[in-house]
Amino acid sequence: MQVFLQVAVAGVLKGGLYALIGIGMTLIMGVMGIINLAHGQLMMVSMYVSYVLFSSLGIDPYLTLLVSMPALFLLGVVIQKFLLNPLMKAETILPENQVLMTVGIAMVLTEIIRFIFKSDYRSVTTSYSNATFFVGGISFSMALVIAFFIALAFTGAMFLFLVKTDLGRSIRATAQDKDAAVLMGVNTGRITVITFGLGAGLVAAAGTLLAPVFYIFPDIGGPFTAKAFIITILGGLGSTVGAIFGGVTLGLAESLGATYLGMDYENIIGMTIFVLVLLFLPGGFKRLTKV
Amino acid sequence: MKVLKSLAFTSFVSALVLCVGQAAPAAPIKVGIVLPLTGSEAAFGEIERNSFKMAADEINAKGGVKGNKLELLFEDDTGKPEVGRSAVEKLISRDKVPVLTGGYSSSCTIAATAVAQQFKVPFLVTTGSADEITEKGYEYVFRLNPPASEYPAAVTTFLTDVAKPKTAVVLYENTSFGQSSSKSFEKILQTINVKLLLKEGYNANSVDFKPLLTRVKSLNPDLVYMVSYVMDAALLMRQSKELDINPALFVGGGAGFTLPEFYENAKDAADYVYSATLWSESVPYPGARAYYDKYKAAYKQATEYHGAEAYASLFVLADALKRAKSLSPKDIRDALAATDMKTAFGPVKFVSYGKKTQQNKLPTFMVQWQKATLNTVWPRNVATDPYIYPVPKWSARK
Repeated sequence: MQVFLQVAVAGVLKGGLYALIGIGMTLIMGVMGIINLAHGQLMMVSMYVSYVLFSSLGIDPYLTLLVSMPALFLLGVVIQKFLLNPLMKAETILPENQVLMTVGIAMVLTEIIRFIFKSDYRSVTTSYSNATFFVGGISFSMALVIAFFIALAFTGAMFLFLVKTDLGRSIRATAQDKDAAVLMGVNTGRITVITFGLGAGLVAAAGTLLAPVFYIFPDIGGPFTAKAFIITILGGLGSTVGAIFGGVTLGLAESLGATYLGMDYENIIGMTIFVLVLLFLPGGFKRLTKV
Repeated sequence: MKVLKSLAFTSFVSALVLCVGQAAPAAPIKVGIVLPLTGSEAAFGEIERNSFKMAADEINAKGGVKGNKLELLFEDDTGKPEVGRSAVEKLISRDKVPVLTGGYSSSCTIAATAVAQQFKVPFLVTTGSADEITEKGYEYVFRLNPPASEYPAAVTTFLTDVAKPKTAVVLYENTSFGQSSSKSFEKILQTINVKLLLKEGYNANSVDFKPLLTRVKSLNPDLVYMVSYVMDAALLMRQSKELDINPALFVGGGAGFTLPEFYENAKDAADYVYSATLWSESVPYPGARAYYDKYKAAYKQATEYHGAEAYASLFVLADALKRAKSLSPKDIRDALAATDMKTAFGPVKFVSYGKKTQQNKLPTFMVQWQKATLNTVWPRNVATDPYIYPVPKWSARK
């Protein structure tokens, strides 16, 4: 029982971070109708932003959120405005060339970072990276708990933003029906730019929160793009609540699988869930929760 | 006739040029060295490269080999076997090196030595330690360091004489080195009657070891033995501290556990961790302490066994090159096979035993991290500091 609880705690904490990664992805997917295959790489860039601030100026990694999120928001805006939006107008054989563009962006980001920082592993080690506290014999990693609550706060804020504000409503309108949104006077071009920026900013938060507990290298993006994709499919496209469900489910499944089946199976489990959801619950958790 | 004359003239000139070319003493002897200089194993590559350079400077300052200076050509294998393979191909076919050394990770070394054997160029393996490297009957491959299965020799005597654990858990990275080491350690555990509760591999680049470590915690072993590189070693210890796992001792199977980077990343979670090692500055070999002091003075950082291996490798090569009849790979190979010398890393002589050929045999040692320094604690005759055993529980520290 002790083992089960400990593994469940570790899984849920990890799931909080996954949720944050997933929300950014699901926003972009919902509004633009495309898969952003550079999502993990955007996260990797934000980890390096935190790393540079931490190692050269000695700024606490959690404070670097104030820099990494706006920086990645801007990067997201630039990518959408100058690289993705122009493609919408172009008539080509492939309607999905925006997706192909994100693959290219992912490669360029990885190689630029490799060029600057080499492929060496780096880490952001703080005094509390190793700190833990215990509740009833179950250990909680301080860094992961902080990350979990910050992730929850961002998720909550995002939810309120989408439901309560004008801009949020415009984003949801664009996601539901682009043509209708245009008819109602929504500037959908501007909305897509802001959405991509928001998505990038959220995944930047995830990257910065992950930095103190893990280590950083240029190729870290790929696996996380795959995870973001699984989470989004699990939760349902465009659903914030779904992304939280998806993130926590994936975190739990990986932890439990690694414990009871073997650590070699960690990645296989995520992919198996992905296939099962596609087969038996197309549309993801969104179909059950309707949010 | 005219044609013949000019032909004779050209051949005369070219013969002259050739003679002059051979007589010129200053042509440097190229030594090809394959190391991971970027990527996850770059920390090891750097220590080894620095040590190779130090050795080359010393040899060249004393006039080099028969008046020829040694020129080191480094190639980066980035920690990937396929890159290591092409690096060796490049060194042999483009740079025409007559002899090769280096080789850090076992996977890369296996790929690299296969190429060397194929082209018949001698390769002195510095670090790559999977047993199979010298079990293939390659007559052009020599190995300076002991094979992975012999790393825990000192650990074994420590376990039987001091720690006397009853149960053990073995965790290893799923690579050639990890598999080779964990398999042989499993056999050792059987012979000293320690019950193996769990033996599990993990993938390279894993983020979260908690599921695995939670299982370790529930099994409550006396000994946790880990075979890891640097970053995974640091994460394993950090997360063991988080989960409050308290075996009687944590032991690392060499590799990452002896590097300064391990302590920098794991911080206080690294304290009291034991590791197998092949060398320390206090070993009773001539030149060991001098090498350590010189390295520290030159690079402002401590060195450890990987550096000593590299440093000694170049002296072994220089010695073989001095004795070789010519600089052809074949003659260098024969000279290497006849090596019998003392180095800072220990006595070097390539022998065949068991399935292994052209393998150097050396004793091993055990070190322990004690308050940010790595001290040699076993066997007793070379120990610089007393071992701390049993290790205090995480909650009782500070």
